[in-house]
Amino acid sequence: MKFVIVGCGRVGSRTASQLSLAGHDVSVIDRDPNAFLRLSPNYRGQTFEGVGFDRDVLIRAGIERADGFASVTSGDNTNIVSARTARNVFRVPMVVTRIYDPRRAEIYRRLGILTISPTDWGATRITETLLHPGMTTLLTMGHGEVTLVEVIASEHLDGHRVDELNIPGEIIVCSLARDGRAVIPTAGTRFRLGDVLSIVVDTLSMGRLQQMLRMP
Amino acid sequence: MNVLIVGGGLTGSFLAQVLLQEGQQITVIEKRPASADRLQAMLPAIRVIAGDGDDPATLEQAGIRAADVVVATTGDDEDNLVVCLLARQEFRVRRTLARVNNPKNEWLFTANMGVDVWVSQAHVMADLMREEIAKTL
Repeated sequence: MKFVIVGCGRVGSRTASQLSLAGHDVSVIDRDPNAFLRLSPNYRGQTFEGVGFDRDVLIRAGIERADGFASVTSGDNTNIVSARTARNVFRVPMVVTRIYDPRRAEIYRRLGILTISPTDWGATRITETLLHPGMTTLLTMGHGEVTLVEVIASEHLDGHRVDELNIPGEIIVCSLARDGRAVIPTAGTRFRLGDVLSIVVDTLSMGRLQQMLRMP
Repeated sequence: MNVLIVGGGLTGSFLAQVLLQEGQQITVIEKRPASADRLQAMLPAIRVIAGDGDDPATLEQAGIRAADVVVATTGDDEDNLVVCLLARQEFRVRRTLARVNNPKNEWLFTANMGVDVWVSQAHVMADLMREEIAKTL
């Protein structure tokens, strides 16, 4: 597949290198040619010096036949303009952009630009880790309303049944791994010390789950 | 008419002055606090907000929802584009105007980015000069 990446900073250079290593055709654009030094020595793609919304540069980089486009420069506005152009002018099927400012990220999401806000994501992960030790967030869904967490069953859970933990619409134990083998537990499955549980939880109920994991 | 100008540099403040003489209601958002203060002192009859015009919260504080026209006159083309995009998509402003700094970027100033009308200073000046040059022949 063909990918165009605008911005060759830490994120851009890694993205471009990973895609290239996976065998894809990659073009990376940056206004500073020194930025390309960040690319992996195994990078097989092309590099273009220029701005991410310069038509000539975009076309030379192959945007017209790109399957995916990412704008990850340090400037939020540059990223928005590039992403919207890639999507609406060049009709690239998959466009993703990074926006540092979480309040703005929300607005651009509503405008139909797939937006990743590392500031928001990082702060949420750090907050959750501090507030809910013992639970590891594996995945967040939507805009973070639903979270998939991993929990190691403690002695508090040992012997309790799955349906004592499940709350419809709030908390669902969706996988239980024991001795390296995972199963989808039924209501009657009993937890054992050391089980690795994957639990889907309404993010607002994280505190409640935390309390329940210390169930008597 | 209620006009919101984003960018209080030379272009933005001169435009504010001209519109003020026509009796329009003007608000200007200017990023640099010193320039904002200077502009307010120069034109006490307008409202000057010190802040980022590409920040939705600042736009709202400046009363963008009541604006008939938004004019983006900063020295950064991407900032002007984002101001127009927000004005149109987020705040449903009826009319948007943008300044194009680099003529190479003209192709971006379209309805897709929420721009109704753009003015490219290099373009306008080149056209006028070309006409004058033609007259001397």
